[in-house]
Amino acid sequence: MTATRRAARIGLYSFLILSAAFFAIPMLIIVLTSLKTADEVRAGSIFELPSAPGLAAYAKAWSEACIGRSCTGIGTNFWNSVIITLLSTSISLLLSSLNGFALALWGLRRAGWVLGLLLIGAFIPYQVMIYPLVRMFAMGGMHNTLGSIVTVHVLFGLPILTLIFHNFYLSLPPELLKAARVDGAGFFQIFGLIILPMSVNVLLVAAILSVTGVWNDYLLGLIFAGPKFQPMTVSLNGLVGTQFGVPEYNVNMAATLLTALPPLLLYLLAGKYFVRGVTAGAVKG
Amino acid sequence: MTRVTIENLDRSYGGVRALKEISLEILSGEFVVLLGPSGCGKSTLLSAIAGLDPVQGGRILFDGRDVSQLEPSAREIGMVFQSYALYPTMTARKNMSFALRVGGASAAEMDARVNWAAQLLQIEPLLDRKPGAMSGGQRQRVAIGRALVRKAKLFLFDEPLSNLDAKLRNEMRIEIRSLHDKLGTTFIYVTHDQIEAMTLASRIAVMDRGEIQQFGTPDEIYRRPMTRFVADFIGSPGMSFLDASLDADGAAAALDGGRLPLSGYGYIDPPTGATKVTLGIRPERVIVDRAPGPGRLAARVRGVEPLGADSVIWLNLGGQTLSARVSPDQAQDLPPEVYVAFDLQGISLFDPITGLRL
Repeated sequence: MTATRRAARIGLYSFLILSAAFFAIPMLIIVLTSLKTADEVRAGSIFELPSAPGLAAYAKAWSEACIGRSCTGIGTNFWNSVIITLLSTSISLLLSSLNGFALALWGLRRAGWVLGLLLIGAFIPYQVMIYPLVRMFAMGGMHNTLGSIVTVHVLFGLPILTLIFHNFYLSLPPELLKAARVDGAGFFQIFGLIILPMSVNVLLVAAILSVTGVWNDYLLGLIFAGPKFQPMTVSLNGLVGTQFGVPEYNVNMAATLLTALPPLLLYLLAGKYFVRGVTAGAVKG
Repeated sequence: MTRVTIENLDRSYGGVRALKEISLEILSGEFVVLLGPSGCGKSTLLSAIAGLDPVQGGRILFDGRDVSQLEPSAREIGMVFQSYALYPTMTARKNMSFALRVGGASAAEMDARVNWAAQLLQIEPLLDRKPGAMSGGQRQRVAIGRALVRKAKLFLFDEPLSNLDAKLRNEMRIEIRSLHDKLGTTFIYVTHDQIEAMTLASRIAVMDRGEIQQFGTPDEIYRRPMTRFVADFIGSPGMSFLDASLDADGAAAALDGGRLPLSGYGYIDPPTGATKVTLGIRPERVIVDRAPGPGRLAARVRGVEPLGADSVIWLNLGGQTLSARVSPDQAQDLPPEVYVAFDLQGISLFDPITGLRL
């Protein structure tokens, strides 16, 4: 290895380490702080290691921390988020895979138009649609219900998920469909017995996109979920904003980590698919 | 067994007419090959017969019953595709029994039908494998098996051998032929490969630009091509075409190199006056001599292609290209100038404008 190449290597790695540190240091501070007691947080520097690391802050954040006047932690909201995410993701996947299949392979007239409209839907900032949606839900009598938050998530998830499925199905040989039609299978039999079993990878990709999107959402949860099904992100904001006397940074950090944990775990367990999900919209097939 | 009648079938894609008023009568138990270059409409016609592609005009009848509006599954057909189109997540057995499964057949019936087809095609060892674990030839066998299981009355093949290598293609060709002999069912087979067409078909429909150019036995197609297109498309090396002037009585023609007697040529309509014609001659009907003689035309040798069993000599006859198929011995040490004669059996005359046989 020549001297210049070595220098280039060193430069490259320093840049990478610096970039990683840029993201890792705040994360480190969150983890360290969440393991300390409230007194220790106030006394020392944020970079100091906890003298007696403990999970007390997590327990408090989960079940005792006060959000506004109720002091029940964010545990119940965790389950709200789970319900909202599971419902939204499963309905989104079902509808968007069916949509993508019909648009890509069923030879519908004007399928291109529908796709174009969907693409527009994927690029319009959803904040634009919030007010009309609130009015519509209010008129329908389902404002601030589980139904409304799930409906909203499904609606906003559909365009991009449909595109992902559509692009995947386009890559399947059209003769497969012809063979199934000669064999006498109908639309739903072809979809359920032949197409879905072939879609495991793309289903995973779409599920990851949907789960992270729904779980991390704050604005829609704040507006549409209502008090009974408030998701974890909204309650986290409430928890951090609620102060009686001295702010408990360790509890705030623990609550933040708890909220961020599911997408993090998903990333660790299915990182390969996660990357595919991120690039899925960019590259066809 | 099904008699297939096609009446004035029309199909357009946008502004392009893929099928123009196609009419065809396929007898029960026949092996009909639809032959033509890519884009001639042969696959479109097959799709229409299968019901995979809606038609815009005309009718399709199976045994006199109009099936034009029926779904593919209601037409009692089996179909084999070029890309095999096996369901990749299912084993061969599941693939083959799929039609029966969606049709609500009993497990016992499915087993019986699959085993019968597997035995016929000798694919029993493959039944529990998925398509990904099979070779191309094995996949095609399973695909044929899937078509067989349905008790179809009509089998459609869409270029089934195009994805196989040459040796396997020859083997499968023989198998498909013997399958037709065993089943006695009507087969319709699409290909662009004239050797497949000549060896398999009881009758060939040669297609070009959405029209059937000729429908006849392989022998008729080869020996009496009804249009210049058919004459040109069938045969390798292809028929040579020479410009000539026909005498008023049609008994001889004048070429650049001399005169050619044509008495005994089977005219469809005897010529009514002296006229320009295109004279087609099959390479194997060209007789090459080293010495001049009566009725022989002088030609210059441009090159020799040895093919193993025989050789093709490329000749220049008064500025026009002519090929002759001769034995390798005859093709050796040729002088630059030779003398050729044409066997009347290999001659076809065409109208130079319409391209129709005279």
